[in-house]
Amino acid sequence: MVEAEREIMEAAMEAGHILLENGAEIFRVEETINRICRHYGIESSSAFVLSNGIFLTSGNVTEEVFAKVQHIPVSGSHLNRVAAVNQLSREVEEGYYTIEEVRRRLEEIRHMPGKSAHMQILSSGIGSGAFCYLYGGELKDCMASILAGILLYIFILYISRPYLNKIVSSIAGGAVATMSCMILYMLGIGRNLDQMVIGSIIPLVPGVAFTNAIRDIADENYIAGTVRLIDALLVFFGIAMGVGLVYTVKQRLML
Amino acid sequence: MAGQVMAAVAGTIAFSVLYSVPRAYYSYCGFIGGAGWFLYCLLLPVCSPSEAALFAAILVVLLSRFFAVKEKCPVTIFLISGIFPLVPGGGIYWTAYYIVTGEMELAAAKGFAAVKAAVAIVLAIVFVFQLPQKLFQMKWRESKGRKS
Repeated sequence: MVEAEREIMEAAMEAGHILLENGAEIFRVEETINRICRHYGIESSSAFVLSNGIFLTSGNVTEEVFAKVQHIPVSGSHLNRVAAVNQLSREVEEGYYTIEEVRRRLEEIRHMPGKSAHMQILSSGIGSGAFCYLYGGELKDCMASILAGILLYIFILYISRPYLNKIVSSIAGGAVATMSCMILYMLGIGRNLDQMVIGSIIPLVPGVAFTNAIRDIADENYIAGTVRLIDALLVFFGIAMGVGLVYTVKQRLML
Repeated sequence: MAGQVMAAVAGTIAFSVLYSVPRAYYSYCGFIGGAGWFLYCLLLPVCSPSEAALFAAILVVLLSRFFAVKEKCPVTIFLISGIFPLVPGGGIYWTAYYIVTGEMELAAAKGFAAVKAAVAIVLAIVFVFQLPQKLFQMKWRESKGRKS
C-alpha cells in the first residue's frame, strides 16, 4: 500500500517535472500533479511550484507521509512534451491507464526527440528572413538575414548552450547576429543594415519566458512570474547590449 | 500587405518549429501569427502602434484560446509563436542603436515605444485570459453545428 502511494507521488512529480522544464505555466504544473494524485486516490497531496523547483508532500491520518523537493533548472522549451503530458493527464482522468503505464508513458515523453539541429538552424534562418521582411527589409536584405540567422543559431547550439551562461550568451548572441549582418552588408549582400539586424536578432527574443511570466503573474503566482520576467528582461537587455557593443566598436574603428 | 502577412505566417511557423510545437499544430500557429499581423497592419493607419498592438494581441490570444479548446491542448503552444510578430524586436534594436550613436532623445522615444507595445501585449493576455473557458467551448460547438 505504502509502495503504491509512493509510486503515484513519484509519477505526479515526474509529470510536473517535465511540464515545468519545458515551459508550461505554473498553474498547469500544479493542476496536473493534483489531477494525477486525486485520480489514483491520494487526497492529501499538496504541491508548491516555483519557476525552478517543485515541493510535493502528502500525508494525513489515513495516508502515508511523502515529501519530495526537486530542483528543476529550466532547459530548452520542447512544447511537444508539454502537449504530450497534458494529453496524458486527460487520459488518466478518463481512466485509461494503470499507474505503471503512466510511469512508462512519462518516461517515453521525457525522451521524446526535439527537432534535429539542422531543422532548428534552418528554421532560425527562415524566421530571421521573414521578420526582416516584416520590419520593412527588401528581398536582398532578407537573404542576408537568413544567413545571419543561420550563423546565429549555429553559435547558439554549439557555443552558447554548452558553455555560456544566460547573460553572456544573450550579449554574445546579439553581437554575433549584428556582426554577421555587418560583414554581409560590407560584402554588398543587402542594403538596409537596420532591418537585417532586427530580423536576425529575433531568434534570441525570449518568447516563452516573457509570455509565461505574464500569465503566471496574472494567475497571482508572483514569485515564479517575477523570476521569469527578470529572466526575459535580462535577455532583452543582453541582446540590446550585444547590438550596441558591435556598433560602438564599428564607430571607433571608423574614426 | 499580402507579402507582409505571408512573411508573418512563415516567421510564426519557423518559430513554432524552433520551440518543438507538434507538427499537427503548425498551420494553426501560422494562421494565428498571420491574423495578428494582418490586423496590426490594418489598424496602423488609423491608430497608434501600441493601440494596434493591443488589438492585434487581443485577436492572437482569443484565437489561441479558441484553438486550444478545439484541439484540447495547452494554449501556450499557440500563444507563444503567435504573439512573436507583435513582440517589439525592432524597438530593442533602435533603442540600442540610438544609445550608441548618442541620440538620447530618440533612444528614449524608441525605448518607451517598445515598453508601450509590451504593455499592450501584457494587457491583452491578462484580460483575455479572464474570459471564462465556457465561452470558447460554446463558440466551437455552435460553429461546428452551423458547418455540418
